[in-house]
Amino acid sequence: MARRPLSLQTRSLFAAGIALAAFLGLTGFALDRAIYETLRSALRDRLESYVYGYLAASEVARSRRWLPPEIGPDKRFDRPDGGLYASVIGPVEIDGVKAEQWRSPSALGAAMPLDAKLKPGEVKFAGPLDAAVGNIYLFSLGVRWEVPNREPIDLTIHVAENASSLDGQLDVFRRTLLVYLGGLGALLLLLLLAMLRWSLRPLRSVSADLTRVERGERERLSSNYPHELSRLAANINQFIDSERLHLARYRNTLADLAHSLKTPLAVMRNELDSGESGEQLRWTVLDQVGRMDQIVAYQLSRAAASGHTTFAAPIPLEPPAEEIVASLEKVYAERKILCEFDIDPKARFYGEHGDLLELLGNLLENAFKWAQRRVLLTARARPGRDKRRGGLELMIEDDGPGIDADKVEYLLQRGVRGDERVQGHGLGLAIVQDLVKAYRGSLEVSRSSALGGAAFTLRFGMA
Amino acid sequence: MRVLLVEDEAPLRETLAARLKREGFAVDTAADGEEGLYLGREVPFDVAIIDLGLPKKSGMELIQELRAAGQRFPILILTARTSWQDKVTGFKHGADDYLVKPFHVEELLARLNALVRRASGWTKPTLECGPIVLDTTAQTVKVANAPADLTSYEYKVLEYLMLHAGELVSKADLTEHIYQQDFDRDSNVLEVFIGRLRRKLDPDNTLKPIETVRGRGYRFAIARTDSNA
Repeated sequence: MARRPLSLQTRSLFAAGIALAAFLGLTGFALDRAIYETLRSALRDRLESYVYGYLAASEVARSRRWLPPEIGPDKRFDRPDGGLYASVIGPVEIDGVKAEQWRSPSALGAAMPLDAKLKPGEVKFAGPLDAAVGNIYLFSLGVRWEVPNREPIDLTIHVAENASSLDGQLDVFRRTLLVYLGGLGALLLLLLLAMLRWSLRPLRSVSADLTRVERGERERLSSNYPHELSRLAANINQFIDSERLHLARYRNTLADLAHSLKTPLAVMRNELDSGESGEQLRWTVLDQVGRMDQIVAYQLSRAAASGHTTFAAPIPLEPPAEEIVASLEKVYAERKILCEFDIDPKARFYGEHGDLLELLGNLLENAFKWAQRRVLLTARARPGRDKRRGGLELMIEDDGPGIDADKVEYLLQRGVRGDERVQGHGLGLAIVQDLVKAYRGSLEVSRSSALGGAAFTLRFGMA
Repeated sequence: MRVLLVEDEAPLRETLAARLKREGFAVDTAADGEEGLYLGREVPFDVAIIDLGLPKKSGMELIQELRAAGQRFPILILTARTSWQDKVTGFKHGADDYLVKPFHVEELLARLNALVRRASGWTKPTLECGPIVLDTTAQTVKVANAPADLTSYEYKVLEYLMLHAGELVSKADLTEHIYQQDFDRDSNVLEVFIGRLRRKLDPDNTLKPIETVRGRGYRFAIARTDSNA
């Protein structure tokens, strides 16, 4: 089973959420890197200043040995495991004893990488390094100490700080960053949600309106939608209207059918009740059965007419007209009727192909029936009342006897009900009238100025 | 006239076949599209009546396949549906006329006669060859404006010969097209009919309308007077 696609709101939130997370994450990462570099460089500066502190506070004995100061530049150097460590590599003298290395009291006895020897002038900063006391940052400097009137001595001074202070500062910073960025993210998401709800509100209102239409509380959708939805709403409205028209037509057809069948049934029942027998009864039944046949045929063909105009593709006129005329020329071969077309190549019918065939078929067949020699089909594209669709004018003329003006109204009226029809023009014309109504077009019957017979003019969607 | 009737509804098929036989047609019936196709390929029909809604093979397919198989006889389609869509499709597939059910048998007969006539090149419902005029609508024959009194079979034989006026019509053709499939085909009967026709149409033996082509068949010898051809 196919999963239901995510809602528009979820999709937008999901997408925006990912973008937001990526953006905030990157920001956080960049800020974190920046602050770490800042802290690290501050640490380096501090360690460097300790080194100079040591150098400033110490002196070199006559024996060309470095004498450590009484107290370090920070008291943490003098406490065991105070967090700051220093060592000096080179000739030193501690309490009168010569040695090659000195360590601050804090660094005594701990395994720490404080033994490297650097060339004079060489500077090194490294960290975090693994040491027994935990991670440390190490600043090392090689110096050449000038001794008056003697050879200078080379010393390497290491100063290290436990990483915990930097880590602590970093932690504080990260926590603050997280709180602010998280808050910002949540705020943006809420804002986004509000924006989405606001911009999707017209869609929700369309769907709510549709529900109301379904429940029958409203006739159609309101026309008050944003520009992007107004066409959709207009199309839905057209669809609703045409469905309604359809339904009404079905209902009418059914009612017409039932009513019009009642009369012949009543006639036959009367005949049976009156005790009529033999030939008379036979003729009545035959007569009435014929009438019922006609009624059923008429209603059937009416039912075939669809009249859907909402989403119909435009159909050019020439191909279906050719098909119809090819058929009619077979049926009326003996009449040798010449059927001419005058079809505007831009003319289009917006509707069902079957309906167009029905319109052209019935009118052309009537024309073939009544014509002496000639039938003329004219199609013209006209300005439409709907800006997206053009209008259409169709004219079918013949050179037959034509229809007198005073008979026209009668002819058109008669087509309305299936049980009372004019022979010849009747059934087909009634179907044409139904279709014209379904497509909200118009039908005009007049005398052909070109051929002198009848002229049927159909107009659809014209301004 | 030999007609193929393809209709799946048995009551309609049987009453229609009976009526057509009474009207002098030789009728072969089929109840579905496949049987219709088989008969249509094997038998030289003059005209076919085909219902569109058939089992096994639809009427449209049947018409298409008959035409594809080179059968040129006219086809009249019967349909319960009246939409032009169906009619147009039918004509496109090779039908020549249509009739919507329910219909009057008289209408059907008139259409069949017209189709057969048209298929043999006659444009008017009256066949004229010199002084002999055969009215296919009224089914009457006049010789020099005097009505000739023909029996139904004599009329049918004459109609067939006149439809194919100028062409050689073999005895086999004539029996095939006039008689039913399972009719006793004794050629003597045909000769008797031809003899009687000659006497009735040409009592003085001056016109000589029907020529005997020895060992091959007959030919209607008077040329067509087809004013509107």
